[in-house]
Amino acid sequence: MFTTALRAPKLGSAEAECEDAHLVLPAEAPDTWRTEPVLVAVADGASESLLSGPWAALLTTGLLAHVAADPRALDAPEAFADALARAGLAWRPWLADYVARREAAGRPIAWYEQPGLDRGPHATALAARFAPDADGRTTWAAAALGDSCLFHTRGADLLHAFPLADAGAFDSSPGLVNALTTDTALLARHTRTASGAAEQGDQFFLCTDALAAWFLREAERGGAPWDLLAEHTRGGDPERFAAWLEAARAAGEVRNDDVTLVHVDLG
Amino acid sequence: MTTAVPYTAEISRATPACFVFLVDQSASMEDPIGGPARQRKADVVADALNRLLTELSVKCAKEEGVRDYFHVAVIGYGHTSVGSAFTGPLAGRDLVPLSQVADRPARVEDRVKKFPDGAGGLVESRVKFPVWIDPVANGGTPMCRALAQADALVADWVARHPAGFPPIVLNLTDGESTDGDPLEAALALQRHVSADGAALLFNLHVSGSAAIPVTFPDSPAALPDTYARALFEMSSPLPQHMRFYALQQGIACTDLSRGFAYNADITTVVQFLDIGTRATDLR
Repeated sequence: MFTTALRAPKLGSAEAECEDAHLVLPAEAPDTWRTEPVLVAVADGASESLLSGPWAALLTTGLLAHVAADPRALDAPEAFADALARAGLAWRPWLADYVARREAAGRPIAWYEQPGLDRGPHATALAARFAPDADGRTTWAAAALGDSCLFHTRGADLLHAFPLADAGAFDSSPGLVNALTTDTALLARHTRTASGAAEQGDQFFLCTDALAAWFLREAERGGAPWDLLAEHTRGGDPERFAAWLEAARAAGEVRNDDVTLVHVDLG
Repeated sequence: MTTAVPYTAEISRATPACFVFLVDQSASMEDPIGGPARQRKADVVADALNRLLTELSVKCAKEEGVRDYFHVAVIGYGHTSVGSAFTGPLAGRDLVPLSQVADRPARVEDRVKKFPDGAGGLVESRVKFPVWIDPVANGGTPMCRALAQADALVADWVARHPAGFPPIVLNLTDGESTDGDPLEAALALQRHVSADGAALLFNLHVSGSAAIPVTFPDSPAALPDTYARALFEMSSPLPQHMRFYALQQGIACTDLSRGFAYNADITTVVQFLDIGTRATDLR
């Protein structure tokens, strides 16, 4: 399989301010055909919390480390919730280092930042594993908390939309993982899991919410948004993707938010 | 960007929104507010505004500083003057970007705050309380001049942000205007229109009277006097997102509710500011 990723910050924000994160293991490499299992994680940092971008990045790293060590982390909400809580253990050391760096740079934490740091950052999380076998079939498993989505397509058909299957289901308060949460029962209640089998030629698209909502709306209208996205990922031109996104935002088709897309192409 | 539904424009650093607070600083603000606390009205209003500016700063804080989603003016009006009520480094300024508000309070006080202890009781904890506005109570109530000053700020803002979220003006008063009938000035202010809707004027009456409090009424029928009815007529209808939020807070309102509260106590002052400055969509 080939894997490609594209991302873009919300209009008006710099690249460094993008609060989405993604990770592909082994490393995303559009021109490299993988025959070993591939792991993908996508996380969307909540714009109203502080340091949610770094938390989203830590979350993708921590989640995939757990999934790599034990693929069963994607099989049940309780197992994924445990992986989420374990990923959160990295937050306090990271924050202590961040606070020390700020102090060393002569920019200590300001009074208006402290309440946000005390509350902890929030992000959605989606992780998936794709394992090809010798017969050209690929089994996949995914787990998600929040509204980042995975889509499985074959030709002109959308076979699976996970965890949301309806464009109307997106709202402004999705489920979120707080870095300080250790309540695995709570995390498990908000986690969804899915799995299936795919054939050579199938496509998977993992998207954060703004792009996912657009994808479902287009699909509900009878369109095939996956063709357009695949054109962008296969073209490998982030600037062209950014230009399309800007036009789609201006037309009111895509909400102005950070966007991440990971394309898993089964050939 | 033109939006079909008013008051839904994106609020971002590129397209910020603005709040203008008009604060009655007349002599009667020395009197106690209604309800059991019996605090001075001037203290309640100043505390509520300082708290709101604190919450706005925290809400818009990111790791590189507070983002300028909002510009804020606080205009005091009393016997001696109509003008900026900021004290400290921002004294004399009108619309100030939120990042500068956050970085330049007059002082940061240590205050004791009570928090739920999780077992039905309360525990006290020391908190930082930034102060930008001091309580003032002095002389008459030149509300017409205050509205005219707000009008100038609103007109200039809309001219510079023709597509953005319309300015929101919140007038906090305890008495009758002493420099004429404010109705025309209030209506004129609401005629400044961006592509996203007309400027909003909300009025909050803080009082020590025994009359029944009224929040977000949809008609003047239940209001006890001509002054309250005049303030009702001066007030804009509540936009849909604020009605929705008010309902979430347990405050009854209808499609015709106006941004007006009569005979407000401490809780209502805070809720009124919270609902009246509720943004739809920060980016």
